Amino acid sequence: MKHIVYISRAVRPLSDRDLEELLTQSRRDNARNGITGVLFYSHGNIAQLFEGEPAIADSLFERIARDGRHSHVHKLIDRPIAARSFTGWSMAFHPLEPAGFATLEGFFLPHHVPALPETLSIADAMLVELVRLAVFGADPTQPPQAAPPVQLGS
Amino acid sequence: MLRGSRMPNIPFSQLLRQLPAGVATLEGPELRFGFVNEAMRALVGENAEGQPIAQHPGQLPTALLDVLPQVYATGKPYTAKACLCTPQPAAKQDCRYFDLALEPYSDEQDQPAGLLLLAIDVSEQEAARQQAHELALVTRHLDARLRVLTETAPLITYTSDAQGRCIYASPQWYRFTGQPPTADLTAIWPLLIHPEDRLRVLYEAETARRTGTGWNYEYRLRRFDGQYRWVLSRALPEVHPPDPPVYWHGALTEVHDQRELADALRRGEAELRFLADSIPELIWTATAEGFIDYYNRYTTDYSGLTKDELGPTGWVSLLHPSEQAEAARRWVQCVASGEAYEGEYRMRRLDGAYRWHIIRARQLADGAVLRWFGACTDVHDQNLLRQVLQTQYDELARAHHDLDTFVYAASHDLRQPALNLRGLFDELRRTATFTDPEQALLLGMVDGALTQFDNTLHDLAVTVQTQRAQQDPVEVLDLGLILEEVLLGLRPQAIQREAVLDVDVAEAPGLVYGRANLRSVVHNLVSNALKFAHPGRPPHIRLRSYHTPDGEPVFEVQDNGLGMEMADSSNPVFQLFVRQHSHIEGTGVGLYLVQRIVRSHGGHVKVASTLGEGTTFSIYWTRPA
Repeated sequence: MKHIVYISRAVRPLSDRDLEELLTQSRRDNARNGITGVLFYSHGNIAQLFEGEPAIADSLFERIARDGRHSHVHKLIDRPIAARSFTGWSMAFHPLEPAGFATLEGFFLPHHVPALPETLSIADAMLVELVRLAVFGADPTQPPQAAPPVQLGS
Repeated sequence: MLRGSRMPNIPFSQLLRQLPAGVATLEGPELRFGFVNEAMRALVGENAEGQPIAQHPGQLPTALLDVLPQVYATGKPYTAKACLCTPQPAAKQDCRYFDLALEPYSDEQDQPAGLLLLAIDVSEQEAARQQAHELALVTRHLDARLRVLTETAPLITYTSDAQGRCIYASPQWYRFTGQPPTADLTAIWPLLIHPEDRLRVLYEAETARRTGTGWNYEYRLRRFDGQYRWVLSRALPEVHPPDPPVYWHGALTEVHDQRELADALRRGEAELRFLADSIPELIWTATAEGFIDYYNRYTTDYSGLTKDELGPTGWVSLLHPSEQAEAARRWVQCVASGEAYEGEYRMRRLDGAYRWHIIRARQLADGAVLRWFGACTDVHDQNLLRQVLQTQYDELARAHHDLDTFVYAASHDLRQPALNLRGLFDELRRTATFTDPEQALLLGMVDGALTQFDNTLHDLAVTVQTQRAQQDPVEVLDLGLILEEVLLGLRPQAIQREAVLDVDVAEAPGLVYGRANLRSVVHNLVSNALKFAHPGRPPHIRLRSYHTPDGEPVFEVQDNGLGMEMADSSNPVFQLFVRQHSHIEGTGVGLYLVQRIVRSHGGHVKVASTLGEGTTFSIYWTRPA
C-alpha cells in the first residue's frame, strides 16, 4: 500500500460539466482499482491524494502525468503506508451552480470536507492541509476571486 | 544557298510553306512580296504577295524597312536579333520577337534580283533571357542586402569548407581580432583561440564536419587588445541532398558579459549553498505554499534522514510527538497569513536524543515569487544552563529572604528582652545601693553596653526594612523639606555638640527618589558627621545639592571631623559592622546602608577624607561608579 500526493494546473478552467464527468468517471475507475483518496480543484488549481496497491497507484500516476488536461504536475510525496486512511474517493470544488451537486456521491464543497483521518501521520496531514491551502486559499468557504497561481518548487 | 538558283519546284515550295520559320522573297528594286509562306503570313498579313514591302510592312519593325534599300543596293546580308514585332494596334501580350535575316539573291546575269527575308520566332528564348536578366537583378539585390546585413549585424559571420578551410569571415572578424585583411584565416584563426579551449574547438569542429552536422560551442577568442573574450560559435552545414555538405556557414557572437554574469551567479549560489551547508544549524527553504524544497547538509547530518525521506513536510516528524500537532497547525497558519514562524521545540537527533531548538522562518518576497527561509537553532545547552541558573537563583533568593526574615525577627524579638533588661537594671539601680565606687563605674559600663545593644538591634531592623522598601514608589522630592525633617530629628545631638549646619539645595532642589531611602541616606550621613566630630572643635557640616556639568544630581555632605583612612576613595567599600573609629559608639551599619541604597538605585558614593581635618561624602544619585 502506498500513497501519492501531487499538485498541478489545469490547462483550461474545468466547467461544472467537466468536473461532474471527472467525478463520476474517477469514482467508477477508482472503485474498480481499489484507489481511495481525495481531489481538490479550484480555479485551475488541482491537488490530489490517492492511495492503493503500489503497482496500481504508480500506473495511475503515470496516466495522470500524461493527461493533457493539466500541466505542471508536481509530485510532492510518494511513499509506502501501513494502511489506507480514506474509505472512498471524493472530490471537493466550488461548482458555479451548486444546486445540482448537493446530491452527487463523493462530492463536497471545500469547506465541508470531512476532517482528515487520524491514521494519517502529522507530517502527511500537514501536507494535505498545505495542499488544500494552496488550492482553495486561506478561506475555503469563498471561491477565490483571482486564483493565486500555484508556485511549483524547482 | 539559294543564290543563283530559281525558285524551287512545287513540292519544295510546299515544304517551305509549312516551315515553322517565316520565309518570303522580296523581288525587284521595289521589293515586292513574291513568295510568302504560312509563318510569314502571320507576320506580314494576308494578301501580301505582289505588294511592295514599303506599302505593306505588316508587323515588321521600321528599323528593318529602313535598311532594305541599302541591303538591296550593296548585296550584303543583314541580320537583326530579337526584333520586337508589334501588331497594330499594339497589345502587349501579342508582342513577339523574331530573329530577322535579309539575304540578297541574284538572277542568272548575276544582277541583284531581290532579297530573301527569313523570320525565326525567338519569343520564348527572349522571354527566358529577360527572365534571367530580372533574376540576376533580384539576385544582385538580395546579395547586396545580405552583404549589408551580415556586415552590419553585431556578430561575426563566416564560412568554412569541408576540409576545414575558412573561406570567408565578415569584416567584423577583422575588426574584432585586429588582423589585416590579408590574414590567412585558416592559419591564424586557431591561434587566436585561448590555448585551453583550442583543442576542444578544433576537435568539435572536425567531428561536426565529419558527421555533416552543425556545431554550437563557446570559447575564448583573442581580441585586438589582447584580451580573451568568450564567444558563442554556431554553424550549420549547407545541404543539397544527396550530396554531402560542402560548406558550413556560421555566426560568432560575443557572450563574454553574459557568461561572466552567469559565472558570478553560479559562484554566488554555490557560495550561499556552501555557507548554508557549513553552518551548524538546520537551514531550509520552502515554497510559497509551505512545501520545503531544500534542507542544508547539517539537517541531514543531524536527523540521519535523507532529503527524500524528510520530504516537503517531514521536518515535523522530527519534533517531539507531543509538539508535532501544534507545530503543524502553526506552520499552516503562518503559510496562510504570511506571518513569521517562531517556536521552541524538541527535535530528534539521529541517536534518538531530543534537543531543544528555536525554529524560525520568514517569508522573502523576491519579485513576485514568495519563498520561506527557515533555521532551527540548537538552544538545548543554553536551556539547561538557564534552568540550572534559575534553580540556583531561586535558592539564593529564598536563602536571602530567610536571612532577612531571621535578622528582622531576631532584632525585633531581642528588643523586648533588651528593654526588659534595661527596665530591670533601672529598677535594680533604683532599689539597690552600691557602696563600692568601682561598682558605680561598673554600673555605667552596663548602662552603656545596654544602650549599644539596643542601638545595634534598631539599626539591624532598619537595614532589613530598607532592603524591603527598595521597591518604594519613586517621586519628585523637595530636598529642602526632607533635609529639614531629618535635621529636626537630629536636633538634640546637634545642640549637644554645638554643631553649625549649612544647607544649600538651591542649585538642585528637586530629586526623583524613594522618600524613605532619601531620608535614610541623609540621616545616616548627618548623624555620622555629628558622631565623628573632632573633639577639638565644634562640628561644621555643609549640606549641598547640585548638578555636575553633565546634569547629574549630586548630594554632598562635608564635615570638619576626624576623617577616615580610605583605600580607594572613588569607589569605597563599606562593610556591615566594620567601623573606622572603634572608640566612638556605633554599630557600623550606617555607611553600609547608605551605599546599599545608592547602589541599588544605580548611583554611587564617593568619599574624600583627610585624617584629622574632615570628610566629604558625595552621593551621585543616577550614575554608577
